Amino acid sequence: MSGRSDALIAYLLTVTQSRRHFTDFLFKTILAIVIVIIVSPFFLILIQVASIGFWQVFGNSPGQGIEFFTTFPGVGLEGGIRNAFVGTVELIVLASAVGIPLSVFGAVYITEYTEPGWGRSIVEFASDVMAGIPSIVFGAFGFAFLVDFLHLGIGIVAGGLTLAFMMIPTVLRTTQEALRAVPMSLREASLALGATKWSTTWNVTLRAAFPGLITGILLAIGRVMGETAPLIFTAGNSLSVPTELTGSGSWVASMPYTIWAYVSDPREYLQAKAHGTALALMIMVLTVDVVANIISRKVTRRLV
Amino acid sequence: MTETENQAIEHPTIEDKLHPLQRLKQRIKTPIIDFLDADRSGKTDMLGKVFLLVPAFASTLIIVLIFGFLWYESVPILTDPVGGPGIIISPTWDPNRDLYGIAIFIVGSLLCTVIAIGIAVPVGIGGAVFLSEFCPMRLRQPIKMITEMMAAIPSIVYGLWAYIVMVPYIKNVLAPALQSNPLTAWMPWFQGDTNGLSLIAGGVILAIMLLPTVVTITTDALQTVPRSLREASLALGATQSETARKIVISAALPGVGAAVVLSLGRAVGETMAVLMVTGNSLQIPYTLFDPTYVMTSIITNQLGYAFVFPLWRSALFAVGLVLMVMSICFTLTAKMFIRWGMKTRGYI
Repeated sequence: MSGRSDALIAYLLTVTQSRRHFTDFLFKTILAIVIVIIVSPFFLILIQVASIGFWQVFGNSPGQGIEFFTTFPGVGLEGGIRNAFVGTVELIVLASAVGIPLSVFGAVYITEYTEPGWGRSIVEFASDVMAGIPSIVFGAFGFAFLVDFLHLGIGIVAGGLTLAFMMIPTVLRTTQEALRAVPMSLREASLALGATKWSTTWNVTLRAAFPGLITGILLAIGRVMGETAPLIFTAGNSLSVPTELTGSGSWVASMPYTIWAYVSDPREYLQAKAHGTALALMIMVLTVDVVANIISRKVTRRLV
Repeated sequence: MTETENQAIEHPTIEDKLHPLQRLKQRIKTPIIDFLDADRSGKTDMLGKVFLLVPAFASTLIIVLIFGFLWYESVPILTDPVGGPGIIISPTWDPNRDLYGIAIFIVGSLLCTVIAIGIAVPVGIGGAVFLSEFCPMRLRQPIKMITEMMAAIPSIVYGLWAYIVMVPYIKNVLAPALQSNPLTAWMPWFQGDTNGLSLIAGGVILAIMLLPTVVTITTDALQTVPRSLREASLALGATQSETARKIVISAALPGVGAAVVLSLGRAVGETMAVLMVTGNSLQIPYTLFDPTYVMTSIITNQLGYAFVFPLWRSALFAVGLVLMVMSICFTLTAKMFIRWGMKTRGYI
């Protein structure tokens, strides 16, 4: 202990000896404060959301805990958020069912079956541009194309498809990276044993790239789970779960939309429900994100 | 053995003698014959190649569709006499009087973005320098984890926090403090009454949302700077901070540029958080405490009931088109920066 404080005193002495060393010390201290400022919003948000929403999600009294997710809002929105929870899950399932095959197969085609050239660059460029498009533009496009032009109407199909489009760039680019990281020798070994390109791709290349692929899929799911703007004009809102695929019975609520609706509502008790929903959404999104990170860390360590 | 060799030599000569039309027929027929001759796994292989083309094409088609539909929907207002391309610089938005100027939204978006970038870029680069150069090893991984988690938090949650915590804080603490302090009270940009829903609230929450992006990309760029550069600088007697400021940052400049441009794109396109805290008032803000209206908010707020009025709806899609064009420009610029970065590292 005394050794450490001696070292500290010695350090402080060198720091005060010349102007340059003092600037160095000052610069480092300021940056340390800056990094604290950068990460502090995370804790501020977590504390704010948890301090009001905690008992909604983990409490035991009526309407709290598991009941919060299993009761419908009912009259005056005094119940739980089953509509939003089920709606979000259904939207994600639909979006994944369409978006993941589309982007994974697309990535497999351009990485495994095409030569590097303008065909590949076009697909890569398109997905890079798509990654930068604002979410509300996706919403407006979903409204113009799916709801209006294709006459799908507002509902779960239009909402799910809009989210599926938003998943494409993330999944496509991460799948591509994962496939590129697979050593060429694996493919060559399989082809040399007489396997066709198709079975090499499915049984060897994709299997080797699988952890990276899962990372991309989880990141994309985490991203679209919290999207509000694309759903406003495509999925609508509803106090119950969708019962049909088209028409007014297909309108579907989602957790982000519910947070927005409840926060902007003047009724006092809805604030707690909004915070509860936000806490639940945050837990879901962060879990997905952390799992994705763990998988990707494991993979990088194995490859290096 | 000799038979196959003979075939291999003779085959092209036969094809050369054929009539062009017959050659075309041959070219179509050969894959079909190959397909019919192939065994089961060979058939799967050939079918699979065709089948995979569809998703690759579809994912590219969507971007064309997005651009096409935004264009198709905005054409009415861009060709109509009451609208025209001039709406981009016309400042009055009043659909009831057929005035569809979208300039105030563009100005509002740009002001919010400037504030956000002005805060997020210096702070984010500072944080990234600390994280990559000075941070103790034990702290680096947790801090990186937290910034990645911050990037994953849904924007509606940021909006909720800003609306519940930051807006009252600006109304009750920040604005009175700045306006009563003789040092800052005279400044024109701190004037005006406020209910907290203001330009600065939008700018600050955007800055908070951009920070993880800036920090993550800049840290990655700083860490690709070769170790030898740092060692050379330190060996010449420079202090650690001088090395970081003058050597490492300038060597990582392309990556830092890419981070700035990518976060610009995110700032302009951010919807929910900004919508909830900027007050959505149809005016050009003159002080930091004035409410404002941004491009994403006007679409979110009005598309729901504007879709039955052709011109109104078309004007909203024109706003979307402007947003899309801006985001494409940012993506292109970011790609340019990344190319530049790869060139300086000798990858291209």
